[in-house]
Amino acid sequence: MECFSLLRSDVPALIDHLGDFGEVLAPHGKGDVSYSFEAVQDSSDVVLDYNRTLLPLKKMFLPPVEKLMGFSLKNKSYEQVDVTIAPRVFFGVHSYEMQSILRLDHSMLSGSVESNYFKRRQSSRFVGISFEPDEFHFSESVGIVIEEMEGFDLFLNEIDGDFQLYVLTDNGQGMLNGFDKINLTEPEIVEERHFKKKIRYHFNRLPRVFQYAYHSEVWADVASRCVGCGACTLTCPTCFCFDVQDEVEVTAEDGMRQRSWDSCMLSTFAEVAGGENFREKTINRTRHRLFRKFKYITDEEGLPWCVGCGRCTAFCPAGISMPDIVNELIQEDEKAQYHRPVRV
Amino acid sequence: MKPQVAFFDFTSCEGCQLNKLNFENDLLDILKHVDIVEFREAMDDKADHYDIAFIEGSITSPSCVERIHDIRRRCDVLVALGSCAVNGGVNAMKNLHPIDEVRETVYGDDKYLFATLPAMAVSSVVKVDYEVRGCPMTQQDFLKLLIALVLGKQPPKYGSPVCVECKLKENECLYNRGMVCLGPITRGGCDAVCPSFGQFCTGCRGLLDNPNIDGMLEVMTSHGISLDEAKKRMLLYNSNEVQL
Repeated sequence: MECFSLLRSDVPALIDHLGDFGEVLAPHGKGDVSYSFEAVQDSSDVVLDYNRTLLPLKKMFLPPVEKLMGFSLKNKSYEQVDVTIAPRVFFGVHSYEMQSILRLDHSMLSGSVESNYFKRRQSSRFVGISFEPDEFHFSESVGIVIEEMEGFDLFLNEIDGDFQLYVLTDNGQGMLNGFDKINLTEPEIVEERHFKKKIRYHFNRLPRVFQYAYHSEVWADVASRCVGCGACTLTCPTCFCFDVQDEVEVTAEDGMRQRSWDSCMLSTFAEVAGGENFREKTINRTRHRLFRKFKYITDEEGLPWCVGCGRCTAFCPAGISMPDIVNELIQEDEKAQYHRPVRV
Repeated sequence: MKPQVAFFDFTSCEGCQLNKLNFENDLLDILKHVDIVEFREAMDDKADHYDIAFIEGSITSPSCVERIHDIRRRCDVLVALGSCAVNGGVNAMKNLHPIDEVRETVYGDDKYLFATLPAMAVSSVVKVDYEVRGCPMTQQDFLKLLIALVLGKQPPKYGSPVCVECKLKENECLYNRGMVCLGPITRGGCDAVCPSFGQFCTGCRGLLDNPNIDGMLEVMTSHGISLDEAKKRMLLYNSNEVQL
């Protein structure tokens, strides 16, 4: 693994250089205080220090609203939308975001391959960047450190305002060919980055906590505060549920089938024909959300399906915090297990 | 034969009806599918039977009740159009005050000349088959319903909040911009048009089924408005739906 030094002022030049390898998508400022992954028009607009984007990177592989096919009622025919494979370079991706893509890969590509996702996922390259954790990030608690480089081709680690550029794959090496603003250097370790938010247990102890959490009193407390807007799940980088609907144009001749992101936090999510609803109450839904992140998939794969990006917490209008819920469950579990506090 | 449709107005600003005359690009397509047989704002003709009757406005007087019963008897499908017809809308704010007080404020000494009732949704009086929500109802929403009815399909139902469409468009949350928005408990389907243009949601499409009212009041007050103000915001379009 080679490591180069790169001045902050030369980063736009690097972004321009990466443009030779495909469309570059990078974080940009959005609204008053938010960020979003957008296609780069001017490399100096790219934001290097951002906390998190509004929507996760999954929007690039599993678009929020996607046309699947067009049909004609008149001709009784349909035509599937062809997703073209175009090389894309994702620049300025945080480690938890990359991990979320790897988890999505597992969800979408194991078993029956989701072909649209697969096509978009192909020939994408990732350039990571380190970040300063804010009050919502807790990815260290789910086993993802800031400098976790799995999945990246290149990784930018900030050292005193400038960067160290790690080359991680052959693709990464190739992308640097002809770029002369970097100098070979020794990798340095940054130690003063601390996560402000933590889950009290190591993540491999969480499945056991969740094993007994189904009837916990914590859920009722969360449900009383939750207004059911679905923001937590819609902005979650590892949630992938969607709904499919047909729409007919006003001519009543042509139409299209499209899918859009759905959310298990919405009361309509588990409603079926006849009006029966499997998760009618908020308490059922809020529990389900947490179990999806820390129990159901985790039991099979051994990894939490939460990457600690903090979006569900940062974007919750009611201020409901995922790590706080987990910590409350831990506390309740300790009470039931030991009837006394346990040192961790 | 094409379905015979008619439009009727009750207590309302008639904005939803007028909205339909603004269809322009789609008007000719609509007329390919249906015959409009009664529409006070656009024509003089009258008919005895309607396949689809579109009702705008809330029911606020004994004469309204009589008229809506008569229309219901003469139509196959009845659709409530817009916030007033669906849940009473803004009109229902009068229900928050004693009815005598309301009459006196509006009609003064002549109050005994004007019989009045609490502002009611059309569905409080007769069976409503489908509804198009919003103040005013959107063209897009209306067209979706009309096409579904023409094709004999179930029109779309919206059960998720405005926040969903806002998130799908990757809008910055208005709560992050220091505004107080009713999006989390308001029925979506509007494509989050107001928040997308920087205006907080006022709840014109009515509330979700089983909304968490206490939780929502807590959210609103924790973002800097008084409890009184929060309740007023919530009641603006939904006086008939919540009791605060």
